[in-house]
Amino acid sequence: MRRTLAVFAKEIRDALRDRRTALMVLVASVVTGPLTLVLVAQFVSGLEERASTLRVRLAGAAHAPALVNFLKRADVEIEEAPADYAARVKAGTLDAVIVVPPDFHERWLAHEETPVELVFDDSRTESSPAIRQSERLLDAFNRETAQLRLMARGVSPSVNETVKVERVNAATPRQRGAVLLFLIPMFAILAPLLGGMTLAIDATAGERERGSLEPLLANPVPTAAFAFGKWLAAWTSAVAVTAVTLAGFVAAAALYAEKKLPALLQFGLPEYARFVAIAVPLAAFTAAAQMLISTYGRTYREAQTYVSYLATVVSFVPLAVMFSGAREAPWQAAVPVLGQLMALQRVLRGDSLPAWDVLVPAAVSAALAVAAVAAVARLLRDERIVFGRS
Amino acid sequence: MIAAEGLAKRFGAVEAVRGVSFTAPDGQVTGLLGPNGAGKTTTLRMVSTLLAPSAGTVKVDGIDAAGDPLGVRARIGALSDARGLYARLTVRENIAYFGELRGIARPEIDASIARLASLLELEPLLDRRTEGFSQGERMKVAIARALVHDPPNVILDEPTNGLDVMTTRSLREAVRRLRQDGKCVLFSSHVMQEVAALCDEIVIVSHGTVAARGTPEAIRAAAGCEDLEEAFVRLTGAGAGEG
Repeated sequence: MRRTLAVFAKEIRDALRDRRTALMVLVASVVTGPLTLVLVAQFVSGLEERASTLRVRLAGAAHAPALVNFLKRADVEIEEAPADYAARVKAGTLDAVIVVPPDFHERWLAHEETPVELVFDDSRTESSPAIRQSERLLDAFNRETAQLRLMARGVSPSVNETVKVERVNAATPRQRGAVLLFLIPMFAILAPLLGGMTLAIDATAGERERGSLEPLLANPVPTAAFAFGKWLAAWTSAVAVTAVTLAGFVAAAALYAEKKLPALLQFGLPEYARFVAIAVPLAAFTAAAQMLISTYGRTYREAQTYVSYLATVVSFVPLAVMFSGAREAPWQAAVPVLGQLMALQRVLRGDSLPAWDVLVPAAVSAALAVAAVAAVARLLRDERIVFGRS
Repeated sequence: MIAAEGLAKRFGAVEAVRGVSFTAPDGQVTGLLGPNGAGKTTTLRMVSTLLAPSAGTVKVDGIDAAGDPLGVRARIGALSDARGLYARLTVRENIAYFGELRGIARPEIDASIARLASLLELEPLLDRRTEGFSQGERMKVAIARALVHDPPNVILDEPTNGLDVMTTRSLREAVRRLRQDGKCVLFSSHVMQEVAALCDEIVIVSHGTVAARGTPEAIRAAAGCEDLEEAFVRLTGAGAGEG
């Protein structure tokens, strides 16, 4: 145990003296996360702003006094669209424009089909609220006109509307935020990888490349002590970086709470504590996996390449979940990364988090970490690994 | 004392070492001499238990290397073929790390560092990071690191490789001091003069086997020539195109 601690202390000291890498990791973990969050928040609040004030742009409003009247009654701001609206929509400076043809009023009075054009560019996600708003308003105008006409003929308006749709959005504001904050779990899962990487590689492939592995192994110390000490150091580094990254999110969320967006960014100390509790065992696994992979690398760079494959696979998990729309199932808890991801999302959604959901992924991670560390210890006794693969 | 008996090592189809036997007694410097690729490093790796022999035995102070490798390592200090240092640690920290790994208490490590620094003339460098050290400086640190536990058996694999004359001389002096202290020094080199200047007994290794063994005088006699270098060439067949 004393020897394990000696290995641990040396690796940590060595890593801390690597100023450039330490600084890179620190900047990446402290700044990037919250920065992303702020950008997302800005984007989301922008969406809400656009949609919350009802504003419609009309081209040829003078031809449709009935529509204008309807919109005014609905408290909608009407703006006359500029002449070059088509180009502006294409350029993204206008979201949607309702184009009224000159014969609108006559046709409408004659109860004929009255076409209007809705000009938009749906390749821009940020204009979709405005587009939908215009559509809804036109629908409502249609419905009202039809109802008035039916009533004028002595028919009940409900004839025209057999199924009346009332929209009830089941998502609480916080849940809506959590959907967008897919990012925090993503960072909670990638931060251990980033934090453990340098140390895991330096302690294995790096040791081999600089020729210090052979003298190290000549010491009367079982290889398990080396593997264990190095892994402890990589794990510590991974946990430290994760803790810092997530703390950055707490700070950013607190900043936003003042701007009255708490619903969107519910990420305070209780969430932080749960996130760390979930990420710490994950970091044990990722650090061990990185070490195991790096042990096969002859050089630092080679190991870096191998380890980046692991990062790719791991970061694929959140994306796969997002795009496949996978539902929560008990078996997911037993899959490394996926189990953590599901638990993290529960935390963000404000759902209950049974101990089971934390303990099962933690146990799986711990078991895999032990297996990987044991494998590293065995590889360090392998002549082909220690002296190159000739 | 180090005793090797019929050591052999095979890497796939390549037989790097084929039946090497020698004894390196305490208080003597024993030199493994041979051209590059003769099997010296492989032999020394087997002696320091880093490689498991395909056949044969190694005994260090009577301890069998196969049965108790950690026990053997505890009685050996080895400068291996790979001698990388930790560039971000100081000389003192590099040496102390290996002391801690050997379970030595801190005050003894400090005393040992002081002793080795004087033996290898490392004092001015002790608190500098090893980044950017010259080859000679790195070699001295690597040797100090290998000797931190004051081992009774010292293995030095090509310790003078790539060093300038002054460093080589000071290293030679250090090896003589080790011999005076009664240590068993096993030393490898491909340089004739090096071995002739230092060794009490020479083991000439060629093509993975022992070509000749004995004092420098005995070897000269065996080869039938006065010049030791000529004797080396004849005995190893180094002139016949080995790299």
